[in-house]
Amino acid sequence: MQMRVCRALFVCFLLLSGCGRDEQATRVDLTKRQSVNLTEQKDVITYAFLPQYSHTVSYQRHHLLIEYLSRETGLNVKQIFPNTFDDHVRMVGEGRIDISYSNPFVYIKIARRFEARAFARAVEAYGKENFRGQIICRADNQEIRGLSDCRGKRWIAVDASSAGGYLYPLGHFAEHGIKREDFATIDFAPGPGGKQENVVLAVYSGKYDIGSIREGTLNVVANKIDISEIRVIANTRWYPGWVFAARKGLAPEVTGKINEALCGLDSGDPKQKEILTSADIFGIIPAGDKDFDAVRNLADRLSMDLN
Amino acid sequence: MAASRVLSRALLEEHKSRGLLIAGNLAAWAAEPILATDFLRLKNLVDEAVSVNEDVYYAFIVNARGEILVHTFTNGFPVQLKTVNTLSDSQGSNRILLNTGDQLIYDFAVPVMVAGDRFGTVRLGLLRTRLSRAISNLSQMMLLGTGLVVTLAGLTGAMLARTVGKRIESLHQSIDRVMRGDLDVETAPPLKRNCWDIMQCTRQECPAYRESHLRCWYVAGTLCPSCVEGEYAKKIESCFRCVVYKACSGDEIQKLADSLDFMVRTLKNHLSDLKAVGATLSEQQQLLETVLNATPDFVSLQDKDSVYRSVNKAFCEIVDRNREEVIGKTDFDLFPRARAAANREEDLWILKSGEALTKEERVGKAGAERWIHLVKLPVRANDGTIIGVLCSGRDITEFKQLQERITQSQKMEAVGQLTAGIAHEINTPLGIVLGYAQLLLDEVETGTQVHADLKLIEKHTQVCRKIVADLLRFSRHTESKMAALDINEVIEEALAVVQHTFGLERVVVKRRLTAGLSRITGDAEKLKQALVNLLNNAFDAIGSDGAILVSSSVGETGEVLFSVADSGRGIPSEHMDKVFDPFFTTKGVGKGTGLGLSVTFGIIRDHGGKIEVQSPLPSVVAEQMEIMGEGGEDRVKGALFTVRLPAEQGQKPLLLS
Repeated sequence: MQMRVCRALFVCFLLLSGCGRDEQATRVDLTKRQSVNLTEQKDVITYAFLPQYSHTVSYQRHHLLIEYLSRETGLNVKQIFPNTFDDHVRMVGEGRIDISYSNPFVYIKIARRFEARAFARAVEAYGKENFRGQIICRADNQEIRGLSDCRGKRWIAVDASSAGGYLYPLGHFAEHGIKREDFATIDFAPGPGGKQENVVLAVYSGKYDIGSIREGTLNVVANKIDISEIRVIANTRWYPGWVFAARKGLAPEVTGKINEALCGLDSGDPKQKEILTSADIFGIIPAGDKDFDAVRNLADRLSMDLN
Repeated sequence: MAASRVLSRALLEEHKSRGLLIAGNLAAWAAEPILATDFLRLKNLVDEAVSVNEDVYYAFIVNARGEILVHTFTNGFPVQLKTVNTLSDSQGSNRILLNTGDQLIYDFAVPVMVAGDRFGTVRLGLLRTRLSRAISNLSQMMLLGTGLVVTLAGLTGAMLARTVGKRIESLHQSIDRVMRGDLDVETAPPLKRNCWDIMQCTRQECPAYRESHLRCWYVAGTLCPSCVEGEYAKKIESCFRCVVYKACSGDEIQKLADSLDFMVRTLKNHLSDLKAVGATLSEQQQLLETVLNATPDFVSLQDKDSVYRSVNKAFCEIVDRNREEVIGKTDFDLFPRARAAANREEDLWILKSGEALTKEERVGKAGAERWIHLVKLPVRANDGTIIGVLCSGRDITEFKQLQERITQSQKMEAVGQLTAGIAHEINTPLGIVLGYAQLLLDEVETGTQVHADLKLIEKHTQVCRKIVADLLRFSRHTESKMAALDINEVIEEALAVVQHTFGLERVVVKRRLTAGLSRITGDAEKLKQALVNLLNNAFDAIGSDGAILVSSSVGETGEVLFSVADSGRGIPSEHMDKVFDPFFTTKGVGKGTGLGLSVTFGIIRDHGGKIEVQSPLPSVVAEQMEIMGEGGEDRVKGALFTVRLPAEQGQKPLLLS
């Protein structure tokens, strides 16, 4: 008798074990539709950082600075993210970038093409007003011991518009009698964004024999690769650092407020130092267009097309 | 059904994880395009998410201000969908189940984060309806499959159970037969191929050869080259690797049946051995009991507590109980308390000391006392420990009596020697007294008082001389003149001496002499003297009016017998042992010296013979004497002296009646 009861209970358990309480569903009507329209924000001062790094890195570096500028100037400053160097240049010309933060090579381009004007320049994180490019290879590359060994090698540069990542190294090679045609190939890093990092990774992976980057890039990729595997073959001359420029037609008072705010950043103030450190900048000083003549001269020597 | 539900849950969880993964990937990919305000890339991303994954019903991205950046819907964006799944800044993701009326959709909301800041939200709709249908189909398939498997398993199980049950029943029946004592069971089925077939063996001397009911791996001494010598335990390891074992050992039940057969065969052999051993033991025990019971000594074995474990027949007779009444008892159950306590004390001493105990003791009631010689020994086990006491006893009453007689004989011998010395010394003065007495008689006138006195002196001196002469004959080995004799002649000569005297007192002498007896070697005079002594003794016992029967015959072993029977008053039983002792007499003072029978005993002994006395007369002799019923009780008792003398060597008796 007891056995029968046990069997019956077991069968019930098997049958009921298949049943269970289902999830509660929220009723929603998908038939009611409407068109979607984005509302364009007005009175926005757009700020763009030349996309030598990924948009995320660009945001990480500059969003504190943008917030600072908005707070200090009372202007609605927003950071936008051009995908390529060319986009950056083009968007300055189209008036979609009000404040451009770019390398000197791009600056002399937008200055020449769209009459953008420099009003401030960055002091590099290591405390200098100028910066330079670096030519790198794998540390274990036995074929490349000096600059002359770069002949016939595959070269990857950051961008045709890159200063530290292309223009300065090209000038450095030229000074040492090495021309463009002496290389097996000259390629530019794929975009958008992250182009400096891509150069280091391409050399690290062995796809290219040498690479050219702006000084400081190795620290950016230190968390991705073992940078001791990368050897710096040569450093270029020092050239003026990155430049803040206003597009043509931007109201001078806007430029003035922004210039004042930027140059007012004090690295002695912990909060402001955090803004500068985040942007990988030591400080910001006032600048003028003539400060970049050295770069213009270099571009001319190398017959670079600034138009 | 439980399995189906578990599977459904697992699939559903996997489905949800997949949706969350797609939404998460979409959020990661959307970060850069959102920053770049690249709507084309964003649109491509959401479209790709929907087109690549069939279950993704929709996808859209909302910016930080809650504005729809891109979506996959055509004909406008569903108004209710935007706000139905809100995500706070602290949430990593959120999922809700939507019911659109004809579809169930999981809606995932995942934030798009850049440097810790939220730039927007990815929303993804994952259809659950399709999955539910799939799960339902799967459940039905599983249920069907399970049913089929259960049915198949049941059928297979039933078939297997029937086969297995039949074989187990066979095993059970075999075990039952074994338990009933039938050891001739063969449970395992015959093999299709036997070891000699597999190994192509022709060695008929192998114990497993052509023995189809045996399994060679159980058989000791098999002759395969791979076989290890020895019993099952030694060879089985090598057999496990043998092709025969692999081919013939079968499944577990067959192995069990083989093992049972082997076990029963082994048991049978052991039982046969045990029976043989038991029979031998029983025979040995019987033999031992026979020996123990045949021995006149009584034997008992007691354990450490003095409990009787074994006793023989003599012991049982001593304690007057049968064996079963003694075994398991102690001395306290069999003997008086004082005696039992003494025995126990002795046993304890032996158990403690390990030494043997020997003693003689008198037992029994006064008048029926017996002498017992006892030896008690410790019994040791194989390891040397004492486990009991063995007691052996012997009735030495007769030995004791013999010992007494020997002591008496030695005493009499000493008396004899003393007597001989005295007699020798007295003989000479007696000769002088007699000589002078006779000389005086010649000188003294006859009829006078002096003559009468001298005659009296002469008479008693003669008596003394006779006594002395008898003493000397008893004690001194005088030189014998040994010659071949016919005992009948000696008897006749002796009778001639005494017959007249006896006749005066009306004592009839009868003869039953057997003619042709073997001759004997002896001194005729001495034997005559011995016979005269016996006749005088008979005459003295009768006194007057009686009969004496003298007979001679051949003994059972060829010896020569002669006897003297009288119808006298017989000899009391208490005197029977003493009649041959010197100076023993029942006659009055001056009537006998007590030396006659002693002298006779000495003569017969010197002739290598024996003399025996019986009283009263055996009835046969009494009849021969024709004295039955004559006279009073005293007169018919009589006595019979029988002398046995060895026949001369080389003589054969000529038996003539």
